[in-house]
Amino acid sequence: MTKTTIPVHLDINGHHHDLQLEPRVTLLDALRDRLGLTGTKKGCDHGQCGACTVHIDGERVLACLTLAAQVEGRTVTTIEGLAREGEMHPVQAAFLEHDAFQCGYCTPGQIMSAVACIREGHAGSDDEIREYMAGNLCRCGAYPHIVAAIRQAALEVAS
Amino acid sequence: MTVHIASTVHVGRHGDASDGAFAEAVGGRLSRVDGPAKITGAAKYAVEQQLEGLAYAVLVESTIASGKVRAIDTKAAEAAPGVLQVLTPDTIISLRTAADWFGTPPPDKPYCPLARDITFSGQHVAAVVAETFEQAVAAAALVKVSYDETPAIVDLSDVKAGDGIPIDAMTKEWGDAQGAFASAPVRICAAYNTPREYQAPIEPHGLIARWEGDKLTVWEPSQWLDGMARTYAEWFGVPFENVRLVSPYIGGGFGSKALALSHGAVAACAARMLGRPVRLVMTRPQTFTGYGGRAATRQTVTIGADAQGKIQSIVHRGINETSMDGMWVEPLGSVISIMYATPNFSSRQNVVRVNSVVPGAMRAPGENPSAFGIESAIDELAYEVGIDPLEIRLRNYAEQDPHAKKAWSTRQLREAFAAGAERFGWARRSPEPRSIRDGNQLIGWGVAAGTYPVRRAYGEAIVRILADGSVEVESSSIDMGQGTYTILAQTAAETVGVRADDVVVKLGDSRFPRAGVTGGSRLAGVMTGAVYKAATSALDQLIGLAISDPRSPFYALQANTLVVANGRIASPRGDGPDVSIAELLKSVGRDHIEATGDTMPANSTPEDRYKNYTTIAMSVPHTEGDYSRHSWCAHFIEVRVDEDFGTVRVSRVVSALDSGRLYNPKLAESQWKGGIIMGIGQALLEEGIVDRRHGRVVNNNLADYLVPTNADIPDIEVISVGIPDPHSSVLGGKGVGELAIVGVAPAIANAVFHATGKRIRDLPITLEKLI
Repeated sequence: MTKTTIPVHLDINGHHHDLQLEPRVTLLDALRDRLGLTGTKKGCDHGQCGACTVHIDGERVLACLTLAAQVEGRTVTTIEGLAREGEMHPVQAAFLEHDAFQCGYCTPGQIMSAVACIREGHAGSDDEIREYMAGNLCRCGAYPHIVAAIRQAALEVAS
Repeated sequence: MTVHIASTVHVGRHGDASDGAFAEAVGGRLSRVDGPAKITGAAKYAVEQQLEGLAYAVLVESTIASGKVRAIDTKAAEAAPGVLQVLTPDTIISLRTAADWFGTPPPDKPYCPLARDITFSGQHVAAVVAETFEQAVAAAALVKVSYDETPAIVDLSDVKAGDGIPIDAMTKEWGDAQGAFASAPVRICAAYNTPREYQAPIEPHGLIARWEGDKLTVWEPSQWLDGMARTYAEWFGVPFENVRLVSPYIGGGFGSKALALSHGAVAACAARMLGRPVRLVMTRPQTFTGYGGRAATRQTVTIGADAQGKIQSIVHRGINETSMDGMWVEPLGSVISIMYATPNFSSRQNVVRVNSVVPGAMRAPGENPSAFGIESAIDELAYEVGIDPLEIRLRNYAEQDPHAKKAWSTRQLREAFAAGAERFGWARRSPEPRSIRDGNQLIGWGVAAGTYPVRRAYGEAIVRILADGSVEVESSSIDMGQGTYTILAQTAAETVGVRADDVVVKLGDSRFPRAGVTGGSRLAGVMTGAVYKAATSALDQLIGLAISDPRSPFYALQANTLVVANGRIASPRGDGPDVSIAELLKSVGRDHIEATGDTMPANSTPEDRYKNYTTIAMSVPHTEGDYSRHSWCAHFIEVRVDEDFGTVRVSRVVSALDSGRLYNPKLAESQWKGGIIMGIGQALLEEGIVDRRHGRVVNNNLADYLVPTNADIPDIEVISVGIPDPHSSVLGGKGVGELAIVGVAPAIANAVFHATGKRIRDLPITLEKLI
């Protein structure tokens, strides 16, 4: 391979990774193809569907529109890093309880978005949840259950 | 011979949660057993397998809709960093033509998945394979294709399209429809159009193909492992057994992932030529032309009725688009021919060739547009004669199948109308259009019915009772979100007598016992039946051993029956020992018990079985025997239309549905709501837009092809009114997945009419049609 790669140091889910990547490699492809962290999904590769939502320094970001090299020195959390010591995050538990998914492909992005939505203080009402979750498409049509799950999880996180 | 009374499948009176004594039994609201893997990111979808030596392929597609490829210049691409291979029609290996999904013997000619003759924009013409995905993407952009372009027929409205080809098999006629229409006191006639729509699953189509000698493994999202494996085998001229399809999770299909497609052939060719595993995933734009969505349709519906709204005649004419070289028939007469009683009826259909990819199956193909026609038209009739839209449906209620002239197996449609109307508050509706208002919003209430036939096929499964007392189920059927993993765990748990937690269901591998296509809402009925039979047989063996093996603690009891529950075996009278399944198996020296069950007729030959699982030729007609079998539903929908801007928002949905017995109401409700939401998209948002100069779908992405977002969807209430239907499936269920989308679009169009006084007969109902 021609010398077109650069060293990239990533902090993902509390683990440090040293990679040698072409500068054009997106965070999404680095996660999925280089690190085997396939929980973050590729639905459109154009920032249109939200399936690739991850947290960078705690904020929700689309990994398909982010170059891996851009997140050096920042903290990346993916769906694989959401549970703490084997304990599911309240949003994850609520998604299971409310059946807030079917095929499961958009689900990691929905959950990452939902955690951030609550943290941002945008889960105050069903209408607010719908608006602030509108960037995550679900073609199976789990939206009413996603809203119910976030409503419940928001209360649990607050308490 | 053993006799046992343990845990026979309990069929309750209602198709709801009251059926199951526990959430874990059939009919219980068990949460998805595959849920934890999906919410933690642990679920590995097909193309997420990490393979040594994986190469990456990217497709190059035609930029014209009609003509020939003159030349493909691959020099720059071949010289690009990391490129391993550039495939063109001249360099790709030759395949054989495979049989279609009916199993029709194919013409004896080669098949090339890369095209020289272009019949639609977006056709695969070349592919680039490289060491990394990024290198393949960059090099694919360097492939230069030149064409000799010819005029294209861009869509149904193209003047060159013509009237199309009559499909005689679609003709349904009885009585004298034209004569009765001519003499009817009330006559309505209108045309209804639906556009191209796309399944748009969030997981794009793609695969990893790997050859080991003459053996091919394909990791690919699939609604039909055995059918796709057959196609790959026939393409490459290898035995069926040499092809293994693996599809553990499917990120949505909605009809689009049932067949092996040309991109799969390209990837498998590349892997064979390169001697390395190859991954090929379509870009989102490519998913709009790499396979077909729902065909655009045109229907005219004429109804003759008496002054009381009783239908005397229906005349229906429909067309749908198909491709230049493929044949897709979207059965437009399916719902209109059975929904209402009429003494005179005529339905005919043509298909029209346009320069498009061959259309395909999308959630309720046929029933969906057919219902848009008749359920809009009967609303128009209701207003013509001044009768409530719900009342006119009851007045024309079909007491038997008007076309097949057979009794319904079960039809809880009257109950659906009643339950939905009650919950929605329909009785309070003021019939006059534009009569309800909230500020600048016009409010309308609409109703429409839907139906979907009970399609039946066959499936087989293995049930194993393992040494630790747990139960394992294997089947090559799949779970794309309908809940197969969960309902098969419930079926095995209840039948054997263990906790659902102690059942492991393995799906999505063609090495497992076979299953037909997951489409037409048939899988749950087929596979719960097969697992029930296999589990019953395994339980028979277990109890047989417990009673008859001299080493068994029950041997001395001289019992002729035992009870298995919660993983423990005991005498029904409570006397004698009480041991776990694991203890019993240990005592009789067995490490497992295994049984296969299927729903095939007893005298089936191996050829029958192969044909059943790899084609749809053996599907059982829904009108076989004495009954006509269908699911039914009624949708009650409220819309709010901004009077100034013409924007439509759905503000309330109540749907009552008859899917027979529900195996898991929690999951069935999710599927129903998903169907309703896709129906809201169809009614208000979804439309493939074709550039008339180039015959190209221009909104080929998820920002421009609008599917519903969370902000578009209100709370939705669904009510189960089904009762177990023993004529439809072993355990009494009817179809769930496709039913709920049928009738949503006309219910919304009818609500929009009620709100605004404007009848929109052309989907989607966008603002420019209302202002």
